[in-house]
Amino acid sequence: MKVTRRKFMQISGASAAGLAVSGLGFDLSPVRSHAQMLKTKHAKETTTICCYCAVGCGAIVQTDMKGDGRVINIEGDPDHVINRGSLCSKGAALFQLGENENRLLEPMYRAPKAKKWKQVSWDWALTQIAKRVKKTRDATFARKNDKGQVVNRTTGIVSVGSAALDNEECWIYQALMRALGLVYIEHQARI
Amino acid sequence: MPGKSFFIDTSLCMACRGCQVACKQWNGLPAEKTVNRGTYQNPADLSFKTYKLVRFEEVVVDGKLKWLFFPDQCRHCIDAPCEMAADDPRAIYQDRATGAVIYTGNTKKLDTEDVIDSCPYNIPRAAKDGSLAKCNMCIGRVKNGLSPACVKTCPTGAMNFGSRQEMLEMAKKRLGKVKKTHRKAKLLNPDDVRVIYLVTEDPDLYHKFAVASNSAFDISRAVALKRLIRPLTRLTASM
Amino acid sequence: MTNHWIDIGNSDCILIMGSNAAENHPISFKYVVKAMENGATLISVDPRFTRTSSMADIYAPLRSGTDIAFLGGMIKYILDNNLYNKDYVRAYTNAPFIVGNAYGFKDGLFSGYNRSARKYDKSKWAFEMDKKGVPKMDRDLENPGSVFQLLKKHYSRYDTRLVSQITGTPEADLVKVYKTYAATGATGKAATIMYAMGWTQHTVGTQNIRTMAIIQLLLGNIGMAGGGVNALRGESNVQGSTDHCLLWHIWPGYLKTPRASNVSLAAYNRKWTPQSKDPISANWWQNYPKYSVSMLKSFFGENAGKRNDFGYDWLPKVDDGKAYSWLDLFDEMYKGTIKGFFAWGQNPACSGANAGKNRKAMANLDWMVNVNLFDNETGSFWRGPGMNPSAIKTEVFMLPACVSFEKEGSITNSGRWMQWRYEGPKPLGNSKSDGDIIMELGSKLKEVYKNKGSVFREPILNLKWDYTTNGMYDAHKVAKEINGYFLKDVDFPKKKKSFKKGQLVPSFAYLRADGSTSSGNWLYCNSYTEKGNMAARRSQKDAVNKIGLYPKFSWCWPVNRRIIYNRASVDLKGQPLDKNHWVIKWDGKKWIGDVPDGGWPPLGSLEKPNPKSKWAFIMRKHGHAQIFGPGRADGPFPEHYEPQECPIEKNPMNKERMNPTAAVYGTDADAYATCDPRYPLVGTTYRVVEHWQTGLMTRPQPWLLEMQPQVFVEMSEELARLKRIKNGERVFATSARGSLECTAIVTKRFKPFKIGGNIVHQVGFPWCFGWRWPESGKEESANLLTPSVGDPNTRIPETKAFMCNVSKL
Repeated sequence: MKVTRRKFMQISGASAAGLAVSGLGFDLSPVRSHAQMLKTKHAKETTTICCYCAVGCGAIVQTDMKGDGRVINIEGDPDHVINRGSLCSKGAALFQLGENENRLLEPMYRAPKAKKWKQVSWDWALTQIAKRVKKTRDATFARKNDKGQVVNRTTGIVSVGSAALDNEECWIYQALMRALGLVYIEHQARI
Repeated sequence: MPGKSFFIDTSLCMACRGCQVACKQWNGLPAEKTVNRGTYQNPADLSFKTYKLVRFEEVVVDGKLKWLFFPDQCRHCIDAPCEMAADDPRAIYQDRATGAVIYTGNTKKLDTEDVIDSCPYNIPRAAKDGSLAKCNMCIGRVKNGLSPACVKTCPTGAMNFGSRQEMLEMAKKRLGKVKKTHRKAKLLNPDDVRVIYLVTEDPDLYHKFAVASNSAFDISRAVALKRLIRPLTRLTASM
Repeated sequence: MTNHWIDIGNSDCILIMGSNAAENHPISFKYVVKAMENGATLISVDPRFTRTSSMADIYAPLRSGTDIAFLGGMIKYILDNNLYNKDYVRAYTNAPFIVGNAYGFKDGLFSGYNRSARKYDKSKWAFEMDKKGVPKMDRDLENPGSVFQLLKKHYSRYDTRLVSQITGTPEADLVKVYKTYAATGATGKAATIMYAMGWTQHTVGTQNIRTMAIIQLLLGNIGMAGGGVNALRGESNVQGSTDHCLLWHIWPGYLKTPRASNVSLAAYNRKWTPQSKDPISANWWQNYPKYSVSMLKSFFGENAGKRNDFGYDWLPKVDDGKAYSWLDLFDEMYKGTIKGFFAWGQNPACSGANAGKNRKAMANLDWMVNVNLFDNETGSFWRGPGMNPSAIKTEVFMLPACVSFEKEGSITNSGRWMQWRYEGPKPLGNSKSDGDIIMELGSKLKEVYKNKGSVFREPILNLKWDYTTNGMYDAHKVAKEINGYFLKDVDFPKKKKSFKKGQLVPSFAYLRADGSTSSGNWLYCNSYTEKGNMAARRSQKDAVNKIGLYPKFSWCWPVNRRIIYNRASVDLKGQPLDKNHWVIKWDGKKWIGDVPDGGWPPLGSLEKPNPKSKWAFIMRKHGHAQIFGPGRADGPFPEHYEPQECPIEKNPMNKERMNPTAAVYGTDADAYATCDPRYPLVGTTYRVVEHWQTGLMTRPQPWLLEMQPQVFVEMSEELARLKRIKNGERVFATSARGSLECTAIVTKRFKPFKIGGNIVHQVGFPWCFGWRWPESGKEESANLLTPSVGDPNTRIPETKAFMCNVSKL
């Protein structure tokens, strides 16, 4: 059965009323997918590209616009010319990457020699990080190398990551790191 | 024969297990606690929480190593022994339009052992409360014109779904092609089930219950009796 | 990838070697299967029978780390049996070039080797030039000094018997693979190679790929539909992050990181802009200064101008001859010279070779910033196995990033397709997009550097940082900056075009070196133009050649060219070599089909080429693909060397056991063990479909963990018998560097190798586990075993071949 994305949207947005009651005339509610189909009625649909390997498969994310604003369903995008709706096990599990109780939801801080994490605010964390960067950079910054050539760099701070960032994020990230004078800039491409 | 069918071409299955996860996602089924038992196959078996399971077998055939994958699921039998064993359309019924064999919460009122034993493919699994579960053909999706989640996600064309006519034709055509390189290729019980497998080796090498055994179809007197009164049951179900 | 995913379906023969596509790039099999349905043969070469092998027509095993021997044998087979595509080889490759007399090869060493420096003097491998400064050539390939004849001589030693003794592949299997693959040397046939880290993660990684590239050139498979050299990249945006150069040695668009000796922008441009004296060579990199200056304008905006060398001195310089790669970075951290560490969207406590060294190194830091979706082995290294938190001074800031479908932006797949994605739900909890975190951090840094006493604050204060809308990170603004703008009204009289200040640059052909254009990355110039966001395109329509290019679906670099080097897919008249799957075609006035490698007309002839034409390989200085590669650190031809750790004392191919230029390290954590009875087994690492990389994004997911719950070691039934190990039991794995507990999978899919008359056993581990998830804390990273030793060109660690042992608990 060939279903294009347009058709997919029509279908999943359509009322599934009538399903709950079959020809038998009594409730068959244990078939949970009926209810799920109804839920997708109020879904916002956005396309995404799978975040795992670099095949670049398309997926459709259905987000609840009425309840908690969270994801209801993610499945392959039938109009994506590479994967044509298919996804492997990791791609098929994308839903659980987002809707996952193990996710990190607050900035955390570990003080020197501490045994535990402490929850902190974004503003505090970023302010403290900026201070650490400045302190280390200013202490380790070299205007010239041993030969007296201008190098304007710090070898006291290093960065790794990330192929998990979007292109635009990669670009501003490398710009920031290079402006700080980092030369140790690496990421997944080499490992 | 009207209704729907699957065609599962195991010669194209690479065990990415997209189907196994897509099934869990769509049906909202939780993960099970598992351990590695010296195989990639996990969970170990179908369960109340696992309707679809890719089975892995390493075999040597004619001196050549084969890693066989079998995406196991309910066959949605044309004349479903489980439906007959249950003999209660409020618990197990066949959807008329698709032929999907559907279990409801009322299965907990059945003699679950009897239903499980009736299945020639060893599919139904009971929860602690006694209710039974298995693949429901993603009936909600199918009724809305979508293919089942497992079929939709399959990258290689191993999983297929459509009208029974279309699937039978696809299966036969494909068998003709595969037979040229795999002499033992065959379709498993194509006339009895709505989930038609194509295998390239002896079906027993994939899974003990890949193909229905006669003994399985003849297991209980209860089922045999129910078969006798089948026309009546069917009549009831279609009222 | 030179080609792209859909194009695999056009192939006549697919070799999957150094990768395991069915498990790590499963959707590629949509196209592998398509090609097979059309009659293509699938070959799987792997130490272990994998899910890829299960789909293959031909499976051949080889011992990890012996790919050059295997492929060198194929080169010999192709040459001995005259299976190479002569027209292609003489027209498009450097096989006709004459190599200078200083070149030589003896006992495993090329001329110019300096043993104390572990380096070659590459000037010994230079081509002979004519009076005009153009390489001398013999298009008949007969001159004994020609690349072609030297190639023949070099691989004459790689006979199947010797190859088989090294690789452990039965000779019959070698010949079967060679014969099948080499058949695509016929005009109109194309074979493709799908490789990944199974080839790169070796001390001879670069040369593994060079060997295959030579085969593809000999068979005329580059530029063709269904051909090419295809690196299957492992992360959704590792292509994009490489293009934007989150790497020490390159600036966005593969420009060079300036060396300390490049004392000014002019000196830098002079050093890195290649010069060709050949009027038929496009020598595309001659445009280098246009790209470097435009990039600096994107960095510093109006603050960069001719007056200050466009801010060239504000960016850091690296020392000449020194490497700052992953291995070097952790080596320095281990030695304690590094104080601050950003581990952004990466988990080096599990992902890097010799993970134990890296974890210990982290304890030497003053501070670490760790950005991730989940708590992980890196951010929590101080509470990991064997660590004593109260002795570790490192401060750690762990920041929650949102997932990819909670934000907007683009990623670039392995086929170079830049694809836009959208925000579904808002970021969960207090997590933020990486873009927002970077922007806010940048703003905080600009704030703290307002202070006049700060050290060298110009680059930080002058950095263009206006990529927000209503206080939030705006991916569109950055995407436009990456594409680039006209910064003045500019006329191009030759092209009969003019542009206004503020317009987006339509393609890199319009970039200029005078500061009148910006472009954050010249390769992406054309991706976001006045016509809109090209990456967001969704057209289902194929191009006129109907080979699955889908030119208006997303966008790919460079300039939407879907198959690169496509000038080599045609004959000298511009007509396709493969009529059924043609890529480009000259219609008498222009090229049709894919975006050609430049619009110049066909060559016409080799002896008297059309002066308006260009040689096919436009990115090479001399316009020809390099069968002889004089730029590589370890030799112009690939040669078999054993891995740093190997099971045999002598290299059967030559007198050098290991790559004489490999990057080795010397701390107490860098133990290596060869032919050591404590570590008799060859080990390798890999991934499984159910987890991804270190598993950090997949191990906390119940559905995926359910399928692969524990780290395992796969071994043959023969080895298990020797070790009395039962299938499914927990065992202990060790190497000279570390150890871990894992579950034994005793399988028919591993077989002992016969290496030079002896039995060698190999085992393999997935590296996608770590102690943080699952919460049992017992599943550890296989990188605790792997060595920190690297390829001399790339410094990619050799995690794919090392020595280890496995024993009962």
